[in-house]
Amino acid sequence: MTDVSTAASTGRVTVSPTEFVFVKYDANEIAEIVAELAARFDIPNPIHVIIDETTPLAKLSEELDGTGPAATITLHAESGALEDRQHPMSFSADNARESFGRILLRAHDRLRPDFADVPADIDLTLEENAAWDTYCVGRLARLGIRANQQRWRYNHRNRFGFDDGVDAAFDALWAADDLGWAEVLATARS
Amino acid sequence: MRQFFPVEDLARDERFVQTNMAERMKDGRTAIELKESSAKSRGATKRLTPERHDASDAARGLMHGIMVGEIQALEGAGRTAHDFAAGDGTNDTIPFELKLDMARQAWDEARHVEISAKLSDWMGTELGEFAENTVLFEAACSNDPILRLAGVNRALEGLAIDVFTQMKEFGDVAGDPYLEFCEDWMLADEVTHVKMGSDWLRKVTANDPDRRTKALEFQQVVDKLFSFGGARGESPESSFSLAKRFRELAGFTDDEVQTISEMDAEALAERRAAVLAYREKVGADAPA
Repeated sequence: MTDVSTAASTGRVTVSPTEFVFVKYDANEIAEIVAELAARFDIPNPIHVIIDETTPLAKLSEELDGTGPAATITLHAESGALEDRQHPMSFSADNARESFGRILLRAHDRLRPDFADVPADIDLTLEENAAWDTYCVGRLARLGIRANQQRWRYNHRNRFGFDDGVDAAFDALWAADDLGWAEVLATARS
Repeated sequence: MRQFFPVEDLARDERFVQTNMAERMKDGRTAIELKESSAKSRGATKRLTPERHDASDAARGLMHGIMVGEIQALEGAGRTAHDFAAGDGTNDTIPFELKLDMARQAWDEARHVEISAKLSDWMGTELGEFAENTVLFEAACSNDPILRLAGVNRALEGLAIDVFTQMKEFGDVAGDPYLEFCEDWMLADEVTHVKMGSDWLRKVTANDPDRRTKALEFQQVVDKLFSFGGARGESPESSFSLAKRFRELAGFTDDEVQTISEMDAEALAERRAAVLAYREKVGADAPA
């Protein structure tokens, strides 16, 4: 595996694979987008991005090997998360920004002391995932990154229910900033 | 008014981007497990249920596919009502009552397009957000009206029965009142459309067994295509299953349902083999 570095990064961003076979993606472009997002979120950590180009699914996850600014953040993305849905197998910078933005904000949250007890991504329940996604995408939208609120509202409703109380909780999470993990869950369940 | 409209000339505004089956099959990626034994061991299922981690996005994608499918079904039924002169069913004519049924179907499909567009909006999808596969309309381009009945009313609308049944269940389990209600009502229409195809196919070919055989062979080809490489089937790798009970209500015999089920399994195996061959060719594998 060869790494691709980008000078545009606040830290060092590497992407694997460096060349894609199944999709028309560019590792340098991906590295630049992640670096740009990391700079906007004030994340100084080294970041390693791993793309699974063999599946059109769109699962994302993040992990850290520590808690400080030197900890490496690893982002996992299935190729569908970065895809232009009108032109399958082609890259969409907008979708990449939304996808990487979402999990970079999660990584940013994980560096906070009040997220110390958050489970690893694989151990999160579907409800916990949805609540955290709502909280992250709301912040992304306020940073000017394109996000379809109704899409995320539907995702949230699918996990918490289709009623006015759930919608009010969604609106509160979407508008929130500076929450700890316990507050994210409490807001979603309010 | 122009007759026999080619798929390339379908009218769409700038929001829509079209693709076809040949393009889709060039995609060497797959969500299916490539080793048959590993699917169970991983405990994974691709069935479209709320338990999937990507449930809402998968449902949005399928809903958009339904919406463009309804547009093409409207176009297909409308073309069949218009393209053939009224007659006794021979020499490229169709009975006038069949034209009326096609007109009624076009009206139903127009309503379904509106419902599906509103459901897409409700689910957070923009019209045209996903590529439109024109394979459904292509099944409605035959010069023989009986092949159109086999391709559109039996294969395409049969697929709609399967998909709507899955989406109705999804809405029911997720607690989405609009999705469950709308899919249930559209499903009732689709059963009627398939029944119309089954009845007319038998009636018009009553004295022409060769034509009936050709139509049923054509239907099998289209049915296999509409399995989308095993997306429909009984395997946990398939997104939706064959809605056997509703297909029986729509006039499919037990043997016909069994044949489609076997073709779905074949399509999945063929897709698996094709992906493995492609991966071997490019020397690629999933990351560890």
